[in-house]
Amino acid sequence: MYNSLELNESVRQALDLHSQSLIKIAFAYLKNIADAEEVAQEVFLAYLQKRPVFENSEHEKAWLIRTTINKSKNMLKTGWFKSRNPVPEDLSYLPREENDVLQAVLALDKKYRIPIHLHYYEGYSIQEIAAILQSKPATVGTWLARGRLILKEKIGGLEDEEICL
Amino acid sequence: MKKSVYKSAMSRVKTSEDFKEETYQKLMQELDKTTQTTETNHSNQKERFKMERAKKKTLAGWTVGIAACAVLSVSIFTMNQNAPTVTPQPTTGITQPPISGKASVNIEGVISEVSADGKSFKVGDLWVTVAPETELGIKGPTAAEPSEELLQKEFKVGNIVTGYTSQDVSTGKVTADVIYNNMAPQKDAGVNPPTTGKAAVNIEGVITEVSVDGNSFKVGDLWVTVTPDTELGIGGPTAAEPSEELLQKEFKVGNIVSGFTTEDVGTGKVNATNIYNNMVPQK
Repeated sequence: MYNSLELNESVRQALDLHSQSLIKIAFAYLKNIADAEEVAQEVFLAYLQKRPVFENSEHEKAWLIRTTINKSKNMLKTGWFKSRNPVPEDLSYLPREENDVLQAVLALDKKYRIPIHLHYYEGYSIQEIAAILQSKPATVGTWLARGRLILKEKIGGLEDEEICL
Repeated sequence: MKKSVYKSAMSRVKTSEDFKEETYQKLMQELDKTTQTTETNHSNQKERFKMERAKKKTLAGWTVGIAACAVLSVSIFTMNQNAPTVTPQPTTGITQPPISGKASVNIEGVISEVSADGKSFKVGDLWVTVAPETELGIKGPTAAEPSEELLQKEFKVGNIVTGYTSQDVSTGKVTADVIYNNMAPQKDAGVNPPTTGKAAVNIEGVITEVSVDGNSFKVGDLWVTVTPDTELGIGGPTAAEPSEELLQKEFKVGNIVSGFTTEDVGTGKVNATNIYNNMVPQK
């Protein structure tokens, strides 16, 4: 168990270390930075309220990512989120190539998008992604392969890239 | 698509600058709220328990009630006796305070003396002790964030203190229940208040050394590391399109860089928060 000082410190550290990762994962899900930041805040609130005990920092990060994904899914299911017609996030400030790639990934179905994000942005292996998404490694491998295939058709590349099993 | 393109694109996606601070404040508010709720529940349980016991001891309750009435009557009588009159009253040999109930007395003034252990101080004629059970600072949902300026850790002669005690001040020595403030006196009204918060330091100059991985470079005596969190280029709605000329991908010796960091440059090694430019010097 934490005392409140230790908890403050661990939350502060988690915020410093992982807030960007969590916002980006939620963004990959929700395609909107404001919503992504709201989800990330909820995740840290859950961290504070549930006070989970972790074996190490990787365990902590995996828990935070898993919670972010769950909360993003919940937000997608809410009535107000479905009913609204949001303005697409303005990414025009990115260099053209990066903008194209990001838009292509965001246009993917989320079952391909999230493994692609976890692999290419967070650098997780298939096994690690499978553990986070609570799926089989083979399934994750298939999602990654299909996602890359779709991206290849849209923007090219990726043919000589491999993902370590 | 190269792996790095997606990562770089995602890294550059702009998020709120004050996200961390805002979230942290929200979390601390939530933590305060939770603590207060727990305390209220705890005191409610205590009250229930007391009420149950009181029911069983009705007789004792009546006795206490009558005694309280008697004390109150005596108090009112004594107060009336002490009421100001036109003719000055001769000084009597009353040594005990007239009110025997528990009342809070403000502690307010300038410290004139501090004990050797630093836990007691003298304000006027009263010695005030700060015990472990003394509450420090102003609490409550609308209270401002505690600051070092308003509540210094050390009690020093000349400091202005405020608070209160529920003990009998006539003894000349009390333990403080709450200390709200312990401020150093303002020396000069013209002096600016100390700046708090995170300060940003500019990174500007010519690269004299680059690390093997190419992610760090040396400007002057400072090693600067460019992390995925480092924002590259000049953001904002009126900023010009980023160009390869002004912001080269590779950091090379001789390049002119500009940007800033919010980390402590005293360590000699910092992560850049933003790199605006990375230019080849004009030949």
